[in-house]
Amino acid sequence: MKKLILILPLLVLILFFKDADAQKSWDEIEYPPLNSFEKPDVEIFELDNGIRFYIVEDDELPLINLRVLLRTGGVLVPNEKTGLQSIAGTVMRTGGTTSISGDELNELLEDRAARMETSIGLTSGSASMNVLKDDFDQLLPVFIDLLQNPAFPENRIDLAKTQQKSGISRRNDETIPVGIREFQKLIYGGESVYARNTEFATIDKITRDDLVNFHRNSFVGSNMMIGVIGDFEMEEMKDLLSEAFQTIPAGEETELHFPDVNYEYVNTINFVDKSDVNQSFVMMGHIGGLRENPDYAKIQVMNRILSDGFSGRLMRIIRGQMGLAYSVFGQYGSGNFYPGIFYAGVMTQSETTAEAINAILDQINRLQDESVSEQELNDVIDRFLNSLVFEYDSRASVLNERMSYDYAGLDPDTFDRLVVEIQAVTVEDVQEVAQKYLRPEALQILVVGNGAEIGDQLEQFGEINEVDISIPMPGDDEEDEAVAGDSEAGRTWINQMVNTLMPDGIISGDLIFEGENIVQTQMGEITIGLKQTINFEEDRLIAEVEAPMGQITMQVIDGQGAMFMGENEMPMQAAQRDEMLNEYYRNPLYLAINGDELDIQYMGTVEMDGMTLVHLTVHGNQTFQLYLDPDTSLPAILTYRQLDPQSGQMITLKQVFEEWTYSHGVMMPYSSTIYSGEEAASVVTLETHSVE
Amino acid sequence: MTLNKHSLLSGLFWILLLPAMVFSQNLEQFEQNVTEFTLDNGLHFIVVERSVAPVVSFVTFVDVGGANEPAGQTGIAHIFEHMVFKGSKTVGTTNWEEEQEYIDLMDEAYRAWVNETYQPEPDQEKLDQYWAEFEENKEKASSYVKTNEFDEIISREGATGLNATTGYDYTNYFYSLPQNKAELWFSLEADRFQNPVFREFYEEKDVIMEERRMSTDSDPFGRLTEEFLSIAFSAHPYGRALIGWPSDIRATTIEDTERFFRDYYTNDNFTFAIVGDVDPENMRDLAETYFGGIQSTHEAPTVKTIEPDQRGERRFTIEEESQPILIIGYHTVSQTHQDYAALQLLSAILSQGRTSRMYRTLVQDKEMALVAQTSVGFPGSKFPTLFIAFGLPNQEISIDDLEAAIYEEIEKVKEGDISQQELDRAITNAKANLVRSLNSNMGLAVRLAQTHGQQGNWRQLFNRIGDLENVTLEDLQRVSNEYFVEKNRIVGKIVNRSSDEVAENQQEN
Repeated sequence: MKKLILILPLLVLILFFKDADAQKSWDEIEYPPLNSFEKPDVEIFELDNGIRFYIVEDDELPLINLRVLLRTGGVLVPNEKTGLQSIAGTVMRTGGTTSISGDELNELLEDRAARMETSIGLTSGSASMNVLKDDFDQLLPVFIDLLQNPAFPENRIDLAKTQQKSGISRRNDETIPVGIREFQKLIYGGESVYARNTEFATIDKITRDDLVNFHRNSFVGSNMMIGVIGDFEMEEMKDLLSEAFQTIPAGEETELHFPDVNYEYVNTINFVDKSDVNQSFVMMGHIGGLRENPDYAKIQVMNRILSDGFSGRLMRIIRGQMGLAYSVFGQYGSGNFYPGIFYAGVMTQSETTAEAINAILDQINRLQDESVSEQELNDVIDRFLNSLVFEYDSRASVLNERMSYDYAGLDPDTFDRLVVEIQAVTVEDVQEVAQKYLRPEALQILVVGNGAEIGDQLEQFGEINEVDISIPMPGDDEEDEAVAGDSEAGRTWINQMVNTLMPDGIISGDLIFEGENIVQTQMGEITIGLKQTINFEEDRLIAEVEAPMGQITMQVIDGQGAMFMGENEMPMQAAQRDEMLNEYYRNPLYLAINGDELDIQYMGTVEMDGMTLVHLTVHGNQTFQLYLDPDTSLPAILTYRQLDPQSGQMITLKQVFEEWTYSHGVMMPYSSTIYSGEEAASVVTLETHSVE
Repeated sequence: MTLNKHSLLSGLFWILLLPAMVFSQNLEQFEQNVTEFTLDNGLHFIVVERSVAPVVSFVTFVDVGGANEPAGQTGIAHIFEHMVFKGSKTVGTTNWEEEQEYIDLMDEAYRAWVNETYQPEPDQEKLDQYWAEFEENKEKASSYVKTNEFDEIISREGATGLNATTGYDYTNYFYSLPQNKAELWFSLEADRFQNPVFREFYEEKDVIMEERRMSTDSDPFGRLTEEFLSIAFSAHPYGRALIGWPSDIRATTIEDTERFFRDYYTNDNFTFAIVGDVDPENMRDLAETYFGGIQSTHEAPTVKTIEPDQRGERRFTIEEESQPILIIGYHTVSQTHQDYAALQLLSAILSQGRTSRMYRTLVQDKEMALVAQTSVGFPGSKFPTLFIAFGLPNQEISIDDLEAAIYEEIEKVKEGDISQQELDRAITNAKANLVRSLNSNMGLAVRLAQTHGQQGNWRQLFNRIGDLENVTLEDLQRVSNEYFVEKNRIVGKIVNRSSDEVAENQQEN
């Protein structure tokens, strides 16, 4: 206030001498009082079935918006079915109801430019309809039908699962989602309900019954809060809603259980290597707190000192002054239902990764080590108070705030109290909460970036934990179980196979075989003459191929690939060399000879192609599934995953061995066919084989 | 309640009429709240009174964007946009006169350094000397800087949503204030566009390089679209990198940026929109007071290059670690061309909503695509532009099959397969979307300013909807046959390679 008294006489002078219409610089402007704003009253009432309504009139546009806020959420879903709530929320809408199909519903709504959506998140669910006011009466019964009688048809469940799986397969493509996901796992734990991943396996386990049950338990009156806003008469609307929603059963109120987070403060440096980026995404922090914390207001002020649009310290220093980033941010998070996270993050070029991390660390330490200036504190409080008017910049914002406070169990005057508390925060308070809640000596740092470009920068932060983000593939179910597989039985079966394939003992020297390979290509069927020499002791592969364009020799010797066409040597692509080697590693003879060094698990017996076969999972240079004929111990089928260069997708291929023939101490399949789906993509038939 | 087919059918009839009625009522009401005026110096203002809450949103729309950039200076429109946040001669500095001297010396040294780096045999001694001079003067200039003071001043008064966007067609600057503080916007906005300063210019170029790394270099979709546009447009500037090619960003100096500002930020290129709880007359007075004295002496150059007809289909594939992404484009027309309305409706019919053709077939029934979306007006709409189809194939669906399936949908449209119901639905939804957009100060301000800025009259925002109503099924068929042809097409793909292979090949190269 002192300042004001000093300035006032000056202002009077300026006003006296200056034309009222003259330009003023920003610090000379006098502001008239703010126009008044009356917060609309929220009309609240409850039905016998437990539904609580929140109603606000707003006649600006001829629209009515209704939103059900539902007590349910992903926290109810066990880990093995992670993603269930999301699929339930999606299929409720896409699948239509028992009386109107999804397609019919889509047309009904879109012909009227009306919207209905349902979705279920981790801590709440939502169903909404937004329609032109004249359509409200007609569409409300449809909406209630959707809430009560969703059909959950198999085809839409399948669609939702396909989409979820596509999402999973794409989840490592962009840096930011990878960083946020993996950082949350560091803080809450990978199995935590707050951080777990939806996986192919968890999606596969979700059944229609699960969705039906989840819906039945969730969409009951006791779990519902309904907000309605738009162009209508209050009393008429109340009558209409009371009548329409009374058919919803009361049910039982769902209890949402939020497991505790047993966080141990540790200092870690974690790294995800992504070779297709030139910028690191850094997240660093530790567990945060709860909204109910009495220090909440002080923490908010601390947060705004650290990061608040362009005006926080992180933006001002790390972006503005140092030019290290376009995006830099941080805050101590306070959750309504479970602890938030204290985090700070930055995106900076690979070369300045450590510099940016240290710059952020400095700012976190600074919050603890020095008190903020009065000026900085006052600026933060002014920013907060002067922008309060935007807190209620529409009638809908008043409604939404009231509902979300009620849902979280917060008093309706929570925000008003926060305003009072923030005004009372002192410089001492800011430093005190920084010291109490921040632990800069125990931060978990995660960097998603390009390892080759980053080099050894991260070593200064401790021993680097490389985070594996590879996506467990659908076919890998078997691999997961392999841990529980029987390696002793696997060994027994492999030994039997070796005895059958090489009855006179392990072969020595070059295995030479000749035949032809018929390949299906986009240009039609191509027949290729083939002579191959393999030396298993030296891992030496030579293939002489009679292709339509002439004779080509392909070889891999000492791990080096080469191709010859006549006298000309041509480079062999790494991909092609790997393919030759992989084929070699899958060769049953290779298994027979090197079986001791491989992890081979017996997985039981399975029915395949009308046969009962012994299933072995082989973990070696490549992981694949081998199926033996239990009577002869000969390989019958082998399946493996490979990239399809045409589609760019991983696909499962199946190789079928037939016509096992003995010569020179070794059995060879004289016919082997590789299937992609139902199609025979390649057939190799042999005429002779020998060992020399 | 059950809903039978009968009620569905009878409902359809009256609903076709209704949105039109609701719509025109709203437009009339709306028009009464709009005031517009042009100052003697040509600056144009649109004011909409909307007293829902005591707040107001401001937009400064400049009809200048990436497409206007001189050759060799890609990204300069965006660089200038960033500089506008650095303040003015009075905001953001402790002593402008002294600061300016060092800024000039710094830029002189940088220009010498850049020129030397492009010599056939750069002289290392000179390079070191220029760089040392540059660093020294940069350091001295920065000692006068009050970083982010512009933002601090307005935020302290309660401003929210401060930002700007640069497109190929335009640059937009915006924020909102409590309604009693409107004068602050007039004072600061007139000041920063009248007296732009190039403060922390080289630090900011580092920031922009980080923005480029984030949005383009390190993002598969960013990489694909940059490549796609550069292949789609061989002459027109829509083919350039909007954020700038890295070498252009590096070479751009303060001198270049200031020249760009002087050449292009002329009064006739500005449109201001003010929407909120304000008195229009008061706004007019303030506009006169603060903006009345701004003169410009010349007209800004315009884009004269016209993209020549494409002579054959253009296609490319990027092999990446990322999962596959498909983008298909067809050269079409600008937003003022008579066929544009039909193209907008075609896009809606193909991919907007769950009843749209591509959603229903490719996403829902065949389960081929995670996303299959079309759009017209990419990357801009002021100049002849593209109609694009964008697709993410589902797992285990080949990207080639998805491409073929999209062509099947387009072929059906060309054969005249669209029904009147689909067309009506698309128009109804376009109208409703416009109605729904009228309830936000900032959304309104942006749309009105942009429409006036590009088309000379904000009413075009609503008139364009009228154009949609005149489109017939025959128009849709004619337009699709005219533009959706192979010769006129650009196809870009990301295909996935396993990371092992990518890593090994990179080592080999």
